[in-house]
Amino acid sequence: MERVYLDNCITSKPDPEVIAAMMPYFTEKYYFPANFVSTGSSIQADLDDFKHIIADSMGAKVSEIHFTSGGTSANNIGIKGYLMANSNKGTHIICSVIDYPDILTNAAFFENSGFDVTYLNADYDGFVDLDELKAAIRPDTIMMMTTFANHVMGTIQPIKEMRKILDDSGHNIALFVDAAHAYGRIDIDVNEYGIDLMSVSAHKIHGPQGVGALYVKNGIQLVATKHGINRLDSLDTGGISIAAIAGFAKAVQLQFSDLQVHIAKIVALRERLYEGIKKNIPHILLNGPDGNKRIAHNLNVSFDYIEGEAILMMLDVNNITVATGSACASQGLKPNYILMATGRNFVQSHGSIKFTLSRFTTEEEIDYVIEKLTVIVKELRSRSPLFNKNK
Amino acid sequence: MQYSQKVLDHFMKPHNIGTMENPSVTATEGSPACGDQVTFYLKINDDSHVIEDISFQSYGCASNIATASIVTDLVKGKTIEEAKDISWKDATNELDGLPPVKMHCSVLAVDTLRLAIKKYELEKGLKEPEPFSKEAIIEELRSIIYPQAGEDIVTLKMVKYVRLDDDGTVVIDLDIPRFDQNRESVVEEVKEHLEKYPEVKDIQVTLA
Repeated sequence: MERVYLDNCITSKPDPEVIAAMMPYFTEKYYFPANFVSTGSSIQADLDDFKHIIADSMGAKVSEIHFTSGGTSANNIGIKGYLMANSNKGTHIICSVIDYPDILTNAAFFENSGFDVTYLNADYDGFVDLDELKAAIRPDTIMMMTTFANHVMGTIQPIKEMRKILDDSGHNIALFVDAAHAYGRIDIDVNEYGIDLMSVSAHKIHGPQGVGALYVKNGIQLVATKHGINRLDSLDTGGISIAAIAGFAKAVQLQFSDLQVHIAKIVALRERLYEGIKKNIPHILLNGPDGNKRIAHNLNVSFDYIEGEAILMMLDVNNITVATGSACASQGLKPNYILMATGRNFVQSHGSIKFTLSRFTTEEEIDYVIEKLTVIVKELRSRSPLFNKNK
Repeated sequence: MQYSQKVLDHFMKPHNIGTMENPSVTATEGSPACGDQVTFYLKINDDSHVIEDISFQSYGCASNIATASIVTDLVKGKTIEEAKDISWKDATNELDGLPPVKMHCSVLAVDTLRLAIKKYELEKGLKEPEPFSKEAIIEELRSIIYPQAGEDIVTLKMVKYVRLDDDGTVVIDLDIPRFDQNRESVVEEVKEHLEKYPEVKDIQVTLA
């Protein structure tokens, strides 16, 4: 069996059609956009096309899309730009303890700069506490930040309910959404969800690394936080790879054509994997919600009595790539903060394995993973003093 | 950062894995909270003090399993005196090295072995229990590896001051770079290591 890659939430394999769409921008059309000169204006026309594709994929207007050099750039430009532009209206912001590191590190930065931050808790399945949200809102609250689909537990946050709570408060609170893990895996219409700012990334949906986009609803004020020459975008100044943008647009076209069919296929494979694990392996725990409140491609399971880095390494030897929330696989030697914050104990966090599928995943691959995982878990449990004590 | 082939070999096919019937002594170190725990089972000849058999069980990562496995290879057939001389660096070298962040696995394996030998010596009356002292505390702190460097915090001169008061209070000053992501976890580890001594009633750690 060739390498089975089930770590698509980190990055995903570029589609061959994406690579093909990028190539002309390396070899022939290597120009930056410019007026009047034929080379530059042809690039501008292409960029306009690409921007339409991204805008259409989320129900946005073309003027609301900014290309950025990745999802983290989009998060920084959106969060910092909004908070700096609006700090005269208030300096209180809200996010949750389980948000993506981009949000949490930005929140900490503003906390150190004099802002107040309320960190909402989340329940066992990873849903942000909406009662806490209601209670947290203050007259000086200017923004709420959330992660559309949790990158560890796959939990899809109730964005519409959050929007309603923010609106009902009577205060003018912007909603910032990091949608990197949700984009291309659920249907997102920014107007329907009432989103003011949203970041997405190309390489999570089989596009190239190093490019993303920030949606900024018309009327939302941002200050520029990355200063420099305006080549493609006034917010993410300097050059952004046009080849990467071309690849991003192609990836979006491919991912969003028959989106519901893609989602149904991936959900079926995920359920096949989960059912296989449940059938073959006792003493397991599903992390995150079951069913359709979970993002299609994510399955996170803890295996009792054994440690995740060992499972990960044995799967790796068997040509399978997954991820784990174990402290032993992290540089800081700490268990995953999301699993710990949602009520799992150390052993459950250390024993967690995250499988993230893609539209390239096959039934044969899933069956191979179930087969190998069954043997590996049994082997590691036979070595574990914890398992033998509990037998 | 990758594991050596030797680490992977010992991880995939560990030597001397499993429990043991009627061992002379067993010892367990580490904790599930930290994500690693090792139990050693030793059969020791009471006359010659030769470790005739050794086996282990492990809850932990690949290097945890591999280091315990190599330690069993290193001590089998040796006397307990010879076994005591095996250091975590010996175990690491024998595995063609470990990533710095994984050095603590090697320390855990060797510590567990030494604990087993100490237990055996105390049980057989080969040794008097040592009085608890400042030196014993410093020795214990040598088991704490600073993940970035792969060296222990005493060798790295991060331990600036140690005092043991008559009432069992331990006072420790640590010098760990500010903004270091491991600052707090090192403090936690210092506490965990000292809490297991019944003589220690209170631990006060100050970060410089």
